[in-house]
Amino acid sequence: MTVAAPALLLAISAFAAFALRKRVAGVAAFGLAAIVIAFTLVAITPVDTVARLIDLDLRVSDLGRLAGLILLATIAMLIVDVRVDAPAYNFFPSALATGAVVLAVLVVSSPVVVFALLVAGLLVPVGTFTFQVHRNRSVEAAVRHFSFVVLGGSLGLGALALAARLPKDQPATTVVLLVVLLFIAVALMLAAIPFHTHAALLAGEAPATALALYFGVLVPVTFIAFAGILASSGLLPEIVQVSKVQDLLLAIGLTSAIGGALLAVGANDLRRLVVYAVISNLGSALVGIATLSGPGIIGGIATALVTGACATQQLLAAGALERRAGDDRPNVTHAPLAAGMFIAGGIAMIGAPPLVTFPGHFFVDLIAYAISGFAGTALVAAAIVLLIAQLRAGVRLFAGSPEGWRIEPRPVAGILGGIILAALLVGGIVPDAFLRPIAAFADEFLKALRPL
Amino acid sequence: MIYLGLIALATLLANGVTRLRFIAVAFLAIAGVAGLISAGVAPSQDVALTAAAGLAAAGILFVAARDGTYGEDPGWRLWLGTFTAAIVTPLAYASFRTISGEPTALPLLQDGSGVVVEVAGTWLLSSGVAIMLTARSAVRASLGALVMVTGVQLLARLAPEARLATTLALAWLEVVVALAGAFLIVNERAVRDA
Repeated sequence: MTVAAPALLLAISAFAAFALRKRVAGVAAFGLAAIVIAFTLVAITPVDTVARLIDLDLRVSDLGRLAGLILLATIAMLIVDVRVDAPAYNFFPSALATGAVVLAVLVVSSPVVVFALLVAGLLVPVGTFTFQVHRNRSVEAAVRHFSFVVLGGSLGLGALALAARLPKDQPATTVVLLVVLLFIAVALMLAAIPFHTHAALLAGEAPATALALYFGVLVPVTFIAFAGILASSGLLPEIVQVSKVQDLLLAIGLTSAIGGALLAVGANDLRRLVVYAVISNLGSALVGIATLSGPGIIGGIATALVTGACATQQLLAAGALERRAGDDRPNVTHAPLAAGMFIAGGIAMIGAPPLVTFPGHFFVDLIAYAISGFAGTALVAAAIVLLIAQLRAGVRLFAGSPEGWRIEPRPVAGILGGIILAALLVGGIVPDAFLRPIAAFADEFLKALRPL
Repeated sequence: MIYLGLIALATLLANGVTRLRFIAVAFLAIAGVAGLISAGVAPSQDVALTAAAGLAAAGILFVAARDGTYGEDPGWRLWLGTFTAAIVTPLAYASFRTISGEPTALPLLQDGSGVVVEVAGTWLLSSGVAIMLTARSAVRASLGALVMVTGVQLLARLAPEARLATTLALAWLEVVVALAGAFLIVNERAVRDA
């Protein structure tokens, strides 16, 4: 039960928070307390603890614990930001339910159950996407998100259910078709290009904190779960024999990396820039997984995890800047600390040293070059375009004289951004603590690739 | 064979009606026939769990309608969805069916081999995709989503491991999909009525 306890605690807390959601101050404190307890439980549960719930095997892995702690900390920061800076009563139950799904996905071993939990988790923020529905297109954006997630989720679940009952020695085309379906399903759920239109609409219409819950927490966990599903579904040995399948994943990754970076450079607002940067980074991470190599898998998962943290940092800052700017274009004078953290998040997003975002990008770029010169060049080009996009946003944000810069009242986004930056810096100085659990997962992945 | 005919009729009915409350009732019929189909290959507690989720999902849609007038007219999209499903189902079944080397029997009622479960699951999945891709509002998007999840529930019946946990997870997913769909329907109506 200790393995399932944190997820069950958050699930029960989500129901309680839903019942009490109109009491914003109380439910925020309650939600934060539940997250802290779940965080402690995850931290003290030893790695490789196993349990059986109903007829389901549960296991705490190195990566599961690391990702659980990072994502719970991210949710805690979002709760604090919403409580202090942008009260929205429907956010707290959604955040707790998301936390429950994240922890469950990271300990469950059955691919079909993991995928079902993921789809349910990706639908939870629908309640937070709709905001001031008469004044914007947030309902349309939420309906589109709902459709993309259920479409991808159902196709992926169908493919996994069919794959689970396949006896050995099936024709290669059957396996290829199932894997292609699974890849398309995950691309739909991750908003990879060309399945990104719902993310583009969401970026413009949904509140920044809801976007952070999706792109900072749920998208990274979807990526990690995808890697875990590949390893546990038994499809990997078949995939490695058919190079076209590997090429498809590589193509989806490269298209997202380059396309996301190009869209980011053309983005006319801060939130769109962040969302496209996330899509670009996840494309790079997919390339890492597609190489089916140790450094590629480590780099891919590291990139996905830290991209979530950077996205949270930038989206919270963008939200604070927009709220204080009102109808004007957001500028450093509106919230200097938030503007500074937006820039810091941008630097982290492109994978600059000495932050912990660097090793992931470095590993993926290096192994992409080893696999194909074109893939490596494309990833470096995407990183340069992303750098230009972030610089362009920075120049716009910091245009004008510094005389009017005054630390904003209630600088919660700036402070939370500072905490994330400090964590990224510490991780960059001591990368072993961050990369070792991911390396343990990469080891399991490679064993599943070539079973003895 | 009879069950396949029933599930096709129930899907056509759900796809063709224009009022959300009728859609909810027609979805209940789909869930009921899916339950009958899976009764041959799954333990009774699993079937009961899925049926309860189907009932809850239909109830949520029924309540979300708030009155008998709200809905979405599918128009020509009904036929596009139906023909797409009719074309995709045999193609998908031929591509994904397991190769056992023995001829597959298609019984009138009992389904020991799982062939009816596989065909019905594929039919619902492709019908749901077609409904969702042609939906213009949250009403038919929700119907398409629930039809797809019901198809997945049927396909997952044949998976060998963690059967009760899989059934439970998919039952919860169906309820979450219905709740999210109902939330969107209510908000969309609020925007339209304003």
